[in-house]
Amino acid sequence: MIKRELKANLKSFIIWLFVLVAMFLLVYLIYPYIITDDSMKEIDEMMKVFPPEVLKAFNMDVTSITTAYGWFKTEGFMFVLLIIGIYSSFLGGSILLKEENDKTIEYLNSLPIRRSSIITNKIIVGVFYVILIVLLLGIFNFISLKISGDLDSKQFILLSITPVLIGLPLFGINLFISTLLNKSKKTIGISLGLVFIFYVISVLSEISENVGFLKYFSIYTLADTRNVISNIEINPIMVIISLLITVGFIFLSYVKYNKKELV
Amino acid sequence: MSDVVIELKHLKKYYGKSRGIEDVSLKINKGEIYGFIGPNGAGKSTTIRTIMGLINKTSGNIFINGKELEFDDIDVKRRIGYLPSEVNLYGDMSVKELLDYHESFYKENLTKRKNELVKLFKIDLNKKIDDLSLGNLKKVGIVLALMHSPEILILDEPTSGLDPIMQNAFHDLLIKEKEKGTTILYSSHVLSEVSNICDKVGLIKDGKIVKEDTIENIKKDNYTYLKIISKDIENIKKELKLKVYKENNNEVVFFNNLKPNELLSKLSKYNIESLLIEEVSLEDLFINYYK
Repeated sequence: MIKRELKANLKSFIIWLFVLVAMFLLVYLIYPYIITDDSMKEIDEMMKVFPPEVLKAFNMDVTSITTAYGWFKTEGFMFVLLIIGIYSSFLGGSILLKEENDKTIEYLNSLPIRRSSIITNKIIVGVFYVILIVLLLGIFNFISLKISGDLDSKQFILLSITPVLIGLPLFGINLFISTLLNKSKKTIGISLGLVFIFYVISVLSEISENVGFLKYFSIYTLADTRNVISNIEINPIMVIISLLITVGFIFLSYVKYNKKELV
Repeated sequence: MSDVVIELKHLKKYYGKSRGIEDVSLKINKGEIYGFIGPNGAGKSTTIRTIMGLINKTSGNIFINGKELEFDDIDVKRRIGYLPSEVNLYGDMSVKELLDYHESFYKENLTKRKNELVKLFKIDLNKKIDDLSLGNLKKVGIVLALMHSPEILILDEPTSGLDPIMQNAFHDLLIKEKEKGTTILYSSHVLSEVSNICDKVGLIKDGKIVKEDTIENIKKDNYTYLKIISKDIENIKKELKLKVYKENNNEVVFFNNLKPNELLSKLSKYNIESLLIEEVSLEDLFINYYK
């Protein structure tokens, strides 16, 4: 069944990976033309217009966007986190529910396979693809940035791992939500909405200290990119919390799916 | 040791407040074909999906080979072949890939049986599931249900979408299965379709089994069409108290189950222009139970 699941989800994986790679490739190709000495001054001027809180939200206070790697660490990485977040959410929301939406569950259920095995196989494939997309994107960016010159390898590697910390919990949360829903296309909206809400909460919590507490309500806090960029380390607490959330929601998904009405 | 293979006892399923099935009890013996007949919405598919564990029963019991069916019992599933009323399969796979995938879930080697069935139903293995017509998809569904030589077959409207030649081939196959000792639950909304192959028929209406009998016994109820043309027709209607099948001015067709002598003595009081008695088709017999 794993082989079948890998194949069934390969197409969307390739599309998402392609979107990410194409986007970064485009930026890397045009970056040398945008960043000249003249434009750098203009960018510096422009940056002064933004309040420091906004710069902080995009990590622009701890890094400069005058190099491709600098851009990657700020805006670029924001896209990585967002798109990998969306991919993981979609995958979690659809990998099980797709069988019900396509009504193939009636066939799958008639086979001599336990529901818990169905869900286990799907989780293995989902987690594999979330990690694989992060890994392949990391390798691609590493090679591209290496070619363009300046790169702090350790910082880059640690930074590139962080999307896993948000991808896995988002996969788990959406998987659980999908076990609560019956045959519906709603999950796309829920998955996308959830990612944006988490993301906006995280940005808001960075911008204003008054609402700093909001960070406890966003999965994106787990990526903790500021800390990774500044201190070149991943906070083990973030890893533990990320795994706990993932495992917790996966556990709930098993419980719920085993009682679910599948038609 | 009883040879009852499938037994349902007061099976009930409610979706929230709306009824799925109210009270379904039936017994199917080993090697028997049981026709599960009822109009759309009567609860046939709900009953079947409850047996298959897709949905959870509200109350009642399901016994397979005398043992109460537990949730997600894959040993039982291994012994069941299931054909849903709407066959939905993985559209991106070819027929061959799907049959191989199916085989991968069973310990035994199913290749021989698979090839026999593919040949019998003239299935094109290289076609993509998405490109199959409804009838061909149904045929693939039949192969999937039978491929692992199950002891129990659960078939939900199996012939919808099949042409008459394939329907016959399918019925012949079921008779062979029955001879091998396979127990078959065959659901359909057309009684005449199953009357030739079923040993027993259960009629389900509004979520309840309203009648269960052999085809012979159902026919034994001796319903006939009774067509009468008479100016006294209103009085005759009151006298006979029979269900009216059709009426047009002075002409009425009744569903009649009165004994001939009783009928004649009742009618003798009236002036009758024309009287015709005909055998009722199984279809109409069926409709008679449901209206």
